[in-house]
Amino acid sequence: MTARKIAGEPHRPSDLLDALRGLGVQMAVSVPDSWLGEILIRIDQDPAMSLIRATHEEEALAIACGARLGGLRPVLMIQNVGLLTIGAGMVSLAMRFQFPLLILASYRGTKEDAIFYHIPKARVTEPVLRGYGLSHALADPKRPIGEQVVQAATYAEESSNPFVLLLSKADVQW
Amino acid sequence: MVNANRPVRADYYHVLAECLTEETLVVTALGNASYLWAKIQDRPKNFYFEDAMGLALPLALGLAVAQPKRKVVVVEGDGGLLMHLGVLVTVGAVAPKNLTVLLIQNGVHAASGGQALTNANLDFAEIGRTMGLAHTENIASAVSFRKAIAASLKRPGPSMLVLATEPDLKAVMPPMPLDPMRTKQRFSEAIGAPRYVSTFFGGGKLVTP
Repeated sequence: MTARKIAGEPHRPSDLLDALRGLGVQMAVSVPDSWLGEILIRIDQDPAMSLIRATHEEEALAIACGARLGGLRPVLMIQNVGLLTIGAGMVSLAMRFQFPLLILASYRGTKEDAIFYHIPKARVTEPVLRGYGLSHALADPKRPIGEQVVQAATYAEESSNPFVLLLSKADVQW
Repeated sequence: MVNANRPVRADYYHVLAECLTEETLVVTALGNASYLWAKIQDRPKNFYFEDAMGLALPLALGLAVAQPKRKVVVVEGDGGLLMHLGVLVTVGAVAPKNLTVLLIQNGVHAASGGQALTNANLDFAEIGRTMGLAHTENIASAVSFRKAIAASLKRPGPSMLVLATEPDLKAVMPPMPLDPMRTKQRFSEAIGAPRYVSTFFGGGKLVTP
């Protein structure tokens, strides 16, 4: 375990990272978000994984599709705003070619993150995902995060399509 | 750079077909980048786009990282690259030695009827150098391209050859429908990529054939 653990309390970000390792994820493709900052550094330092820092979420999505095409198991780690900018590539590349991608998105602008400029993104995130016809779930704070990541990845594989798991601050911020 | 007396796309493609090894992976962008290549040199190790403009190069980047022992050649257009110019920064940062970018510079959005680019006279070779690509070069003839692609497939990349090209506005009919699932499945099998075995069959993991 890489986590600092507080007596008996699970450290959800490190459990999430352990789940990615357990799944055999070899590459993370990301676009910056403050909640994701530290976990991306941990991934970058992990000899079993590589981190590609892309300049745009749609670019990151295509990089992940290429990595999967080449036989790797990637994860896409972005902020939920990226789910809004990613639309064309999502429907015309990832979904059209049925790439089973695990997408972990920090869910900014919810009640726990009531920052004025994030709130508009939260308001539309789930309706937009439904509009894409993209399978997704909110991470349940009462259940271990690791098993939810595994379930999300498994759903992506079994459905041959991307799957988005929306993460809270406690799930992902180190 | 765009200039007069430019070769047509087929001039470059015939040279490319002669220079490729069987192991080289080829990704082609939407429109005639894919349609003409399918007509000239259809092969299992081709990955054809029919849409998703601007995403052929980032997909090729991910593929090159995943397949470091194989050369990856991607054909992108100048209009497509302008949609995601930032990817050149990522290519420069990741620096996959096995990636060669062939940039068709025809100065127009050919696949959408020849509409003008925002800027048809950019020096993409210079832009690529600035963004950290190991080798970039402007090419204006099939003869020059033959030497450049042969060298590019031997030297460490990433490389970008900018091919001054006459616009081809009429869609070339490919010899078969470029069905996305067929494209992906055939490509995956050709490179021996791991496939997912369903939990129904006791798998739930990727297995190398």
